[in-house]
Amino acid sequence: MKVEGEREFKAPRATVWQVLNDPSQMAKTMPGVESFDVHDDRHWTANVKIPLGLGGLRMSVSMEKTDEREPEFAKMAIKGNGVGAVMNMETSFHLSEAGDATQMKWQADVHLLGPVASMGQRVLQPIVNQQVTHVLNSLDKQVQDAASA
Amino acid sequence: MTETVAPPQPKVVEPGQPQKGWAGQNVPRKEDKRLVQGEGVFFDDIKRHEMGYVHFVRSPYAHARIKSVDVSKALDVPGVYGTLTGDEVAILTDPFFELSVPPGAHMKDYALAVGKARFAGEPVAAVVASSRELARDASELVEVEYEPLEPLVDARVAQEGDAPILHDEAGSNVVWDGTFDWGDYDAAAAEADHVVKIKELHFDRFSSTPLECSGCLIEYNKGTGQWTMYCNHQMPGVGAIWMAPALRVGLDKLRFVTQDIGGAFGNKICLHPYFVACCLLARKLNRAVQWTEWRTDQHTANAHGNERWFQDIEVPVKADGTMLGFKVRATDDCGAFPRYEPLGCIIWAQVTPGCYRWRNIRVDFTQVTTNKSPVSPNRGYSRMQHLWLTERIIDIVASELGLDPVEVRKRNYVKHDEFPYETPNGCIYDSGDYARCLDIALELIDYPSIEQKRRDAESRGRLLGVGIGSTLDSGTNNFGQSMILNPDLQFSGNNEVATVKLDIFGEIVVTLGTVPQGQGHETTASQVVADILGCSPDDINVRPGHDSYWNSHAGFSGTYASQFAVTGLGAVKGAADMLAGEMKKLASVVLGCSADDIELAEGQARMKANPEAALPFMALGAILNANNAGLPEDLGVTLNCRYVYRPPFEKPDLERKYGNLTLTYATQIHAAVVEVDPDTGVYEIVDYAAVDDCGKRIHPQIVEGQVHGATAQALGAATHETFPYDADGNLLTPNFYDYHVPHALDMPPMKNGFIESESPFTPLGAKGMGEGGGAGIHAICAALQDALRARGKPVVTDSCNPYHRVWALLQEPEASRAGVEVVSR
Repeated sequence: MKVEGEREFKAPRATVWQVLNDPSQMAKTMPGVESFDVHDDRHWTANVKIPLGLGGLRMSVSMEKTDEREPEFAKMAIKGNGVGAVMNMETSFHLSEAGDATQMKWQADVHLLGPVASMGQRVLQPIVNQQVTHVLNSLDKQVQDAASA
Repeated sequence: MTETVAPPQPKVVEPGQPQKGWAGQNVPRKEDKRLVQGEGVFFDDIKRHEMGYVHFVRSPYAHARIKSVDVSKALDVPGVYGTLTGDEVAILTDPFFELSVPPGAHMKDYALAVGKARFAGEPVAAVVASSRELARDASELVEVEYEPLEPLVDARVAQEGDAPILHDEAGSNVVWDGTFDWGDYDAAAAEADHVVKIKELHFDRFSSTPLECSGCLIEYNKGTGQWTMYCNHQMPGVGAIWMAPALRVGLDKLRFVTQDIGGAFGNKICLHPYFVACCLLARKLNRAVQWTEWRTDQHTANAHGNERWFQDIEVPVKADGTMLGFKVRATDDCGAFPRYEPLGCIIWAQVTPGCYRWRNIRVDFTQVTTNKSPVSPNRGYSRMQHLWLTERIIDIVASELGLDPVEVRKRNYVKHDEFPYETPNGCIYDSGDYARCLDIALELIDYPSIEQKRRDAESRGRLLGVGIGSTLDSGTNNFGQSMILNPDLQFSGNNEVATVKLDIFGEIVVTLGTVPQGQGHETTASQVVADILGCSPDDINVRPGHDSYWNSHAGFSGTYASQFAVTGLGAVKGAADMLAGEMKKLASVVLGCSADDIELAEGQARMKANPEAALPFMALGAILNANNAGLPEDLGVTLNCRYVYRPPFEKPDLERKYGNLTLTYATQIHAAVVEVDPDTGVYEIVDYAAVDDCGKRIHPQIVEGQVHGATAQALGAATHETFPYDADGNLLTPNFYDYHVPHALDMPPMKNGFIESESPFTPLGAKGMGEGGGAGIHAICAALQDALRARGKPVVTDSCNPYHRVWALLQEPEASRAGVEVVSR
């Protein structure tokens, strides 16, 4: 499943870059984070609970930053394991200046495997869209907080 | 609504039999009382003290190398009894026997994945615990490290140089390939006035979905080294042939027991990997273990029907609509492991020309593996795919050449006075009257009124179409056809067995080698025995189910391939005839007359000339079993008779791929009328007729039930039921939420018609008939194509046509038309 989009932040590019590359701030943007550990500046792990079905889908997620060109581009490989689901995701973003604001183009190639994936995009797509919206709104807030600070 | 059309003069090929009696009557089914009262016994009803429950850990990857399996955390959970991994399986068992020649012969298939996972859902490890739920939870603690590999999900690219290879040992994804060439296709093409070319047709992957999922309770007798499997395996004879060598034991160490089975349809033939894993666990843990398949696992990892691509089809046609044959390149997708395959590469040849007099046929057939669930025979196995092709050919040719599909069929059908009819590859169609069946079907849908109905539909903004499906249900396999695929296989002919005995209190007891799954074997067997012994079916006790330890069984015993009415009842008839002879002989000794003077009637053996001189069956049973002093030493009567029915088959000519591959051919001619909403592609089946000819019907109501069930299967396959995979190899319809099986409200108003063309080759004139649903798939395809004709004349190229596919045909009719071409002289 490929998802992509654009978002404008009313903040300088350096600020947006700083938020996107700070694991502790990124952790606040992710939904259902139950724990978050930073191993080094390129490797993070998290335990998350994705709101799926009645009980939610718990996943153990490891993230590795595989490429970066400060302050415009970064790429991450994310692997998740949960009951009935394995997730492999590659995601990247491009930041460009747009006057006083910053334009972010992002994309993610998500491979879900296991029974959860078999539920089909008909079920998963709305959930993914919901989560992406949640992440982007939270990110916007983090950026605004950082900019005002 | 159900209408039964009784033909004014039923066509009887061999006059004189069967006799009037119980056979042919709708007697109450013996099985129904216990089933409707909830008193049936299914394998999952059987429990053992301190038994364990098995849950399989399954691969989420369609294709991945297994780097490690760590079960330690699962074993630490209180209540977990033990585990099994692929490494253990590789040490304790041998790979299952493969039926193919190389490269398929080199593919290694174990009870659990060894080294590699080849489809999403493949069992990688197993956990046994004190409850089913605990086993499932604990299985989540099994840590499997995978190295993902590129999946192969499109059979058409399986042979390309850069395609991922599933089975490294085989070095190829090809299981089996070969050319079948009968008649002279090139000469036919040269003689033709037109050659119709069709680029590609696709028979979708789907499967029948039994109410009861697969499973077993297995206990191991340490003292005797024998496993007893209470299960729902539908073909234990063949199951044992796979399992015993893998477990390195003799066949007698495997005891299969069934009673009631909630449907099978073929997908309970290839259960041997699961059963071997459970056998190992029962032995390892010295505890009975039970595995009950979850519904999602039944969809993702049990067994699907074969998916098949037909490419580069060419059909030579004379100006008057006479078709001379066809050629095609077929690619069959058998999923990750061959298992019952490559038999599907030859089974289709039982019906090579379909219902038609085509004499020149060339088929290049290739079967490949892909990272999908393995297939197994599914109701209509392999013939359904091929007959869908023959019917698509008829309707596409008719449409392209502007011919009437009814007239084209009648022109090309095998004629009723041509039976027994030898096909180009040596199969003998035993009897039938296809044109008459078609007439009945058309009458049932009031075909003359179709054009008026079409106009009425148009006035309501709907598109009306009518379609016909003509198929054959070939029954009673000659297993010699397997030698056409692999000459080293030592299989040919067929057999089935039954015993009939008279016990001490006069009970007549029948055991069957078959494994009934709802087909009413107890009922029909009792009808046959009652006719021979001169008593009521109520007096006959047919032991339910199957027990390979106590029931007499033969190498091909089981319930499959449309054959019970021939092989099963043939064995029952043989054994009952033997018993009748013995009862007359015993009575003659007691009454002091010749056995020829004795008749069996009204529950007695009596003198024909003096019915007052009679011995009740109870007396005969008591005399022989409990009061036999003074009987002649050479009497030779046991009142316990076993008969093995063996159909009259020869081994096929392997070089020509020629011979009689099945004994009987039941006919199904279906006609469907659909109405399509052109704005959305949503359609409704507004009228439907199914006409069946399966020779002598032992129990017409059971036959009608089979017709209804098979039609529902076909309509599901034609409209909604499909197993699509995404590019990663995930099955997208893993449960009934996404996979819609028709229920009663989805069924159209159905009209049935029957004729009886008795088979000259079978003991009772009956034919197997349980797998005749394919006609419905094609009838819907043809009806849709007819309905859409006015909207750019699109060509229906897939067997399954959900609404979105119909909508696509309406939007881009030229896309499908691009694959069809007519070359005329």
